[in-house]
Amino acid sequence: MSKVLELKNITKRYPGVLALDDVSISLEAGEIHALMGENGAGKSTLIKSVAGAINIDGGKIVIGEREFEHMTPSDSLNNGVAVIYQEFNLIPSMSVAENIFMGEKIGGRFVADFKKMHKRAAEIFAQFGVDIDTHAMVESLSTAQMQIVEIAKALSKNVKILFMDEPSATLSMTEVKYMFEIIRRLKANGVAVIYVSHPIDEVFELCDRVSVMRDGRYIATKNVATTTRKELVSLMVGRELVESYPARTPPQGEVVLEVKNLTGNGVRDISFQLRKGEILGLGGLVGCGRTELAKLIYGAAELESGQIIVDGAPVQIRTPYEAIKLGIGLIPEDRKREGVFVDYPLDWNVVIMCLRRIAKHGVVNRKEVNATSDRYINELQISTPSVKQIVKNLSGGNQQKVVLARVLAAQTKIIIFDEPTRGIDVGAKQEIYRLMNALTNEEISIIMISSEMEELLGMSDRIIVLHEGTQAGELIKTDFSQIAVLELASAAK
Amino acid sequence: MGKKNFNIFRVLSNNMAWVILTLIVIFFGIFSDNFFSIRNLLNILSQNAYLLVAATGLTFLMMSGEMDLSVGYTMSLVGVVGAGLMVSGAVPYWLCMIIMIALAIFISFINTFLAIHLKLQILVITIAMMTVLQGLSYIISKSKTITGFPVEFKFIGQGLLFHTIPISILIMFVVFFTMSFVLNRTYYGRYVYALGGNKESARLAGINIVKMRYSIAVIVGFFVGLADIMLISRLGSTQSIIGPGTEFSIITGIFLGGVSIRGGEGKLSGVFAGILCIALLSNGMQLANINIYYQYVVRGIIMISAIGFDVFQLNRRNAIKKIKKA
Repeated sequence: MSKVLELKNITKRYPGVLALDDVSISLEAGEIHALMGENGAGKSTLIKSVAGAINIDGGKIVIGEREFEHMTPSDSLNNGVAVIYQEFNLIPSMSVAENIFMGEKIGGRFVADFKKMHKRAAEIFAQFGVDIDTHAMVESLSTAQMQIVEIAKALSKNVKILFMDEPSATLSMTEVKYMFEIIRRLKANGVAVIYVSHPIDEVFELCDRVSVMRDGRYIATKNVATTTRKELVSLMVGRELVESYPARTPPQGEVVLEVKNLTGNGVRDISFQLRKGEILGLGGLVGCGRTELAKLIYGAAELESGQIIVDGAPVQIRTPYEAIKLGIGLIPEDRKREGVFVDYPLDWNVVIMCLRRIAKHGVVNRKEVNATSDRYINELQISTPSVKQIVKNLSGGNQQKVVLARVLAAQTKIIIFDEPTRGIDVGAKQEIYRLMNALTNEEISIIMISSEMEELLGMSDRIIVLHEGTQAGELIKTDFSQIAVLELASAAK
Repeated sequence: MGKKNFNIFRVLSNNMAWVILTLIVIFFGIFSDNFFSIRNLLNILSQNAYLLVAATGLTFLMMSGEMDLSVGYTMSLVGVVGAGLMVSGAVPYWLCMIIMIALAIFISFINTFLAIHLKLQILVITIAMMTVLQGLSYIISKSKTITGFPVEFKFIGQGLLFHTIPISILIMFVVFFTMSFVLNRTYYGRYVYALGGNKESARLAGINIVKMRYSIAVIVGFFVGLADIMLISRLGSTQSIIGPGTEFSIITGIFLGGVSIRGGEGKLSGVFAGILCIALLSNGMQLANINIYYQYVVRGIIMISAIGFDVFQLNRRNAIKKIKKA
């Protein structure tokens, strides 16, 4: 077999972080090569370097005979590299065909031939037995259809090396099977595929070889046929993983929050109860409406119909301000954009939600600010040189604790964690789990949205699964299994 | 997947400017005696031809998701510089025209250059640039009216082809059809759309974003310069107050024409109708002897409505999409 792509000693620095540290991986023609690693291991950064979307600080990218130290998007495309990113790179207001051939000349030197463009797009779809109207605007497509348009876009460019960054995250089970078929056909045509994936099962089903990355470093490459699930996991986390979720007994306390037929913000007809001290897991595929539901309860999105009952009394929550007053807090999924104020100091972040309480006649009391910050630095064991540390310079785990501190300082009793451990390293994850457990012992109730199956099964007392904005079902602790959640999530029943 | 089903409401709301234009024409046709005379209609078109020419350039910019507020003051400065050179007698009129267009391109280029290097929106740069240009224009014109253009120059704005068709209307249609073709049929035009639709996708598709932005700057400058030539040659004189205010009419017309405030959406034919709406309204309000200050209020309301309609449509589409997804 011949090598189609070699990455030699790739290094990429971001301010304060070494995102890629001397990574070398090679790829052979016609293989499906899985790239695995925890969040923040550097997989996406690696893909972006090869695509020319970012500049590398050191190392070489060798494609066939050509060597690159600085890759540009057009160099990358012209050498047969195509990338399907996690976030689609489509232009919503343009047609399917135009998106597929964006940046390519179909027709004359200056004037595009749209008939030919649509015909060729239809040919690509026909080749894979897909039925999508090439005249449709991309914004009118479903997520799975957009995924197919992305693949078609790659195919139209005579691709030799295809990167796919977590392509299955937004697809249902049947759609994933369908995509696998397409990938296998690509492989048969001699295309090398780098497949970034979280679910290990997919790797065993689809891939030939697997490379593991951790903390920006290359760890090892294994043949899928001769490796085991356990080996891969331990390579990823760097040690034998002890799944240490705190032992929990589902509490039978009073109901603190009840929602009835909640509709709005893309979700429909959601009803459930949350008990005092309970951790209620919300499962489902990416885009199934969990975050949207959280924002609805938190008053960050408009409620169309349905009722929210807090401590037995029906309430109106129209804004996050009202939610906080009722003791509901949200720890958002996108920490850097919606959680912390990254450029402000720690203490500022901690007290921002409870300023009214610690201010006297509208003037913020410096002593109170320090006392509150110190208290949570101790309680949550936030490791920081001082209360004045700029939050940007804290680790992901500590940033998450800052958001938690802020929510706790506002004296909330119900906390919604949206992906509580996203982008946090393994050690800090355990600490977040421990903290969540400790909070429930203090009669705080938690709703936890998680896309990590083990976390969802390990931490929850009860799980509600959403599917395309509706409630697919509820699982009690004795029924917990990965299969059960996935079946509900993809409505495979 | 079936063909798009025909929906009268969607067709109408996608061609809002034409609907409004029809309503305006009917309204003035009924309430104004001499509105439908060929003379009045030709008059309106030739008076406003320069608006559409400038709007064509700005449409490219707005389609790419940017905005330029300095158009009016660019015209003011370009006008007094060109006119000054022309009446001095030292420079032939055709060279003056080239200088005017070159100067407009230069200003637009500077706006884009600053926006790229300061990593700001062109809009922000042009807010400051407006004042600079205004000052320069008054310095050069010394607040005086410049008049006495050569006959050949005045022919552009006042002349008739075959003693019937105003030259300015001819220029307007040539510009409109050429640039419609460029926008709809050429790669370049589609890339302009792509830039407004999703800059990062466009970049990753191998489109040279920086080159695109500078080329759009050249287009904006060229048509603003050309528009100013048409304007001052029709007026037969110029001064520093000639030009400012144009940007407002143009931008309102473009929004009315259905170009989205985020870029990436809209048609030049819509802009054509939008500009005509603005032209007819001003003309109609003048014929009806409406006080100029009331006219300002009306124009402002039209602009808000046009933007509001765009945002309303955007929200509605997003809402539909969310329901579909759910």
